Amino acid sequence: MSSNQSNTQNGSEQKEKVSESVQTSLSKKTETITLEFESSIVNHLVTRFTDKVVQVVYVRPGRTKILVPPNEIVQVATFLKDTLKFDHAESVSGTDYPKDNQIEVIYHLSSYSDEKLSSHVLALSTRVDRNDSRMPTLIDVFKSTEYHERETFEMLGVYFEGHPRNERFLLPEDWADIPPLRKEFRIKGR
Amino acid sequence: MENLDEKFNETIKMGLEIVKETEEDRLMTLSVGPQHPGSGHFRFTIKVDGDYIVYCDPDPGYVHRGEEKMCEYRNYIQNIPHLERPVIHDSTNITYSYSLAVEELTNIQVPLRGQYIRALASELNRQVYTLYWLGIYGIFLGHSTMFMWPLGDRELFIDLLEALTGARVTHAFNIPGGVRNDMPEGFKDRCLRQVAYFEKRLVEYEDIFYNNPLFRQRTEGVGILTKEDAIKLGVTGSVLRASGIPFDVRKAEPYDIYNEIDFKVQYMKTGDSFARSMVPFLDMRESCQIIRTLLDKMPQSGEVRAKLQPNPKGPAGESYKRVESGRGALGYYIVSDGTPKPYRVKLSVGSFRNILALPYLLIGSKLADMPSIYWSLNYWPVEADR
Amino acid sequence: MATAPKDFRFGNFVGSLIQLIFWILIIVTLVGLPLIFIILFYVPLPPINGEVLTPYLFFSMMVDPTRTIPIINFMIHTDMFRVAVFPGFTYAALLAAATIFIERKFLAKMQLRIGPLYAGKIEGILQLIADGLKLISKEIIVPSGADKLIFWTAPVAFVVTAAAVVSLIPAAPGWVVADLDVGIIAVFAFLGFFPLIALLFSWASNSKYPFIGGMRALHQMIAFEIPFILSALPVVILAGSLNLTDMANAQYPYWFVFFLPISAFVFYISSLAELERIPFDLPEAESEIVAGWLTETSGMIYGLIQLGTYVKLYALAGLFVILFLGGWAGPQIFPEEILPGYTGEKIYNATTVNAVFWFTLKTLGMIMLILLPRGINPRIRIDILLHTGWYKLIVWAFINIFVALLLVYGGILGPGGLLST
Repeated sequence: MSSNQSNTQNGSEQKEKVSESVQTSLSKKTETITLEFESSIVNHLVTRFTDKVVQVVYVRPGRTKILVPPNEIVQVATFLKDTLKFDHAESVSGTDYPKDNQIEVIYHLSSYSDEKLSSHVLALSTRVDRNDSRMPTLIDVFKSTEYHERETFEMLGVYFEGHPRNERFLLPEDWADIPPLRKEFRIKGR
Repeated sequence: MENLDEKFNETIKMGLEIVKETEEDRLMTLSVGPQHPGSGHFRFTIKVDGDYIVYCDPDPGYVHRGEEKMCEYRNYIQNIPHLERPVIHDSTNITYSYSLAVEELTNIQVPLRGQYIRALASELNRQVYTLYWLGIYGIFLGHSTMFMWPLGDRELFIDLLEALTGARVTHAFNIPGGVRNDMPEGFKDRCLRQVAYFEKRLVEYEDIFYNNPLFRQRTEGVGILTKEDAIKLGVTGSVLRASGIPFDVRKAEPYDIYNEIDFKVQYMKTGDSFARSMVPFLDMRESCQIIRTLLDKMPQSGEVRAKLQPNPKGPAGESYKRVESGRGALGYYIVSDGTPKPYRVKLSVGSFRNILALPYLLIGSKLADMPSIYWSLNYWPVEADR
Repeated sequence: MATAPKDFRFGNFVGSLIQLIFWILIIVTLVGLPLIFIILFYVPLPPINGEVLTPYLFFSMMVDPTRTIPIINFMIHTDMFRVAVFPGFTYAALLAAATIFIERKFLAKMQLRIGPLYAGKIEGILQLIADGLKLISKEIIVPSGADKLIFWTAPVAFVVTAAAVVSLIPAAPGWVVADLDVGIIAVFAFLGFFPLIALLFSWASNSKYPFIGGMRALHQMIAFEIPFILSALPVVILAGSLNLTDMANAQYPYWFVFFLPISAFVFYISSLAELERIPFDLPEAESEIVAGWLTETSGMIYGLIQLGTYVKLYALAGLFVILFLGGWAGPQIFPEEILPGYTGEKIYNATTVNAVFWFTLKTLGMIMLILLPRGINPRIRIDILLHTGWYKLIVWAFINIFVALLLVYGGILGPGGLLST
């Protein structure tokens, strides 16, 4: 993979910066594994965009998580798809953080076309305001996010601008409550 | 909320569309499911122009149970029994990746024998699921013998799993830290005997079903999903492998002891309904070999599970783990906030990813091809709804 | 140990008995006796052995059972008996019931199952009766907006048409309800009603899936009507007659299936399509269009259509036997005398019994052959089906027409041929 080698060269300056943010792996057996490949991806991203746009949350064997602001997510996703060959989204999930008054939307991206990336899952996350939760859709970049984003809309109330169908998907037709995966929604009796 | 207005406007727009459609006499709108014999707990609206489908809109959610919300109210161990409800026929695999994720969060090491038994149970359970799927595929095409045979042979593996785990269908066998109990005595011989018998049966399946000219006429060249489209739609499992991409989580990202097991990833290149129905069959054949290897390499004695604290918990963090289930990659995204209960659990299931391909394949195909395309997508409605 | 109820009194018991006898006497005097007299006066009684069947003769049967034989002999030669019992409806319905039982057990054995087991203790032999009782007791739901008249009459018309086909099939020499000179044409004319009934019923159901099923039934049956008739044509050429009994008799030494195997095959495939059996059960394709044109049927409406289907199955199997398998021809295995020295007078005819035996045996074999594809084949698709009907079967059917013409003009078979008697 030629692009991979160039990544490491380009990103060698910022490698030290990244390695600070690398969390030590939770599992014992993975400590010995080097994280060169994972770091190279992250370095590439940080080089292309500044580290203000792309914040690296963690780098672990096979798993990377980056945090980008909602208005930049389409650019980052396009870069991920076109240059780094991440070609599909495995899942789109949202996590509600009432303390921060934010909702985190996480896209788990992976690749079929690149064999080296097939063991890798990149979590592209963004945080939107909880009261006015809207963000641009990634459906034009990753077609595979269509139903996942619809589900996130009805489960967490995150409106995806540009998504053709922000509407009910899994919930009953007559659902008239707040989005159920928000933390203030309580299951009856619990 | 503001988006309610937009939603309302969209609803009005859709209503106007419906009024327009009644003027078009050519199209007939059919509601397939949830009462349709060829749908399962699932509904999709199709419009047919003569014998051709011109519109398709999947509408899952008839068996939505809010598993993800339920997870937030129970601790890591209590979550296991209800998490296998989405796919009771593949219950070992759906708790497998959950266990892997929890092990990463709480930092538990699984003993070697436990890893082997876990892999063995998941292979057996994949056979159970695929046989069930194959039986339904047979009856969807009107082949009643192919409905009865796999469901009969499925009992073999259910009996094996009953001997191994103590329960017939919902095993709750995988727990963070290993498996619940060790193999019973004489299980290895019994397992080898039944696998040998099952391999003979697989030849008969091929004779009566896959080599049947009528079956081939109905499935070959039907609902072709190209390699590019498969990647774009992000399908997984047998649907992906049928389109010519040899992706298997067991090979791509080996978990537990799968990097020590030698096996081939079965795939086909045509991407039609026939390939999508053939790949799970080839997987079953390969799985028999894997079961043999597992039994062969398994350490003869040892612990099967790590010692667990009463209420396991780890530091705040998150984990995304996936395994290869009967329907493809099955991932768990678990966020922990340091308490014994998960903060957020998300299931990324193969069914929910595969169903995105349904409208693309159905539109333009014949009404008679609807069941063969729909069920070849390896879709399990309950799992997709969660 | 049984004990009498507490308020039991012997007097009351005797009184109730006397009351019962009193009421029976009243009914017999007021209803029974007038009825007997009315019959005696107004209904012309049949002559048995030259004397009229008087009540005296009738009651004397009880004393000497052998005296009933002329009466039975008379009864079984009436038209009523033929229509209702032997080559007619009861025989066909019994064979249809046997077919259902055979189908269930046969299919179960193929699929490594057991099949019906409990009803009737022995291998679930009464399962059909249980199913029939269930269907009768079920509510008949008529869809709102349905055309009620057609919805109710179509199932009856289905059974009636199936029975009409049965009435044309001879089961033994001389044993046929309607011995028409144009028998084979009449059979095809009646079979032409079925797509019409299916379409009418599906239209009357006022539902979408039945409508698609009805259209499919129409397409399928019309596509297979032509090869169906064409495959019977060589038999007509060889037999030189349109009468079904003549056709069966014409193949006395050599069955036509040996000369016309392709026609027989085309006829068999076309009957499968005509009967809507797997692999041609498109009009009822369960996983595609729910139950096709039967979707809105419920209760006994469904039961009647099923009865009609199986009666039709018998009729077509019987027709195949008549056309290609030599009808009732077979070695004489029944003795001339039931008991040594007793020929059974006019009630037992060894030739007829033999003919009925062979005809039934061949028909059952043919029914098994029609049931067989259900266990090994999936359902075919409509475009492949139409292609098979219009392009392949018609061409194949023509091959044996030329063979038949060759045989007739070569003087080998046909009227006055070398091999025909």
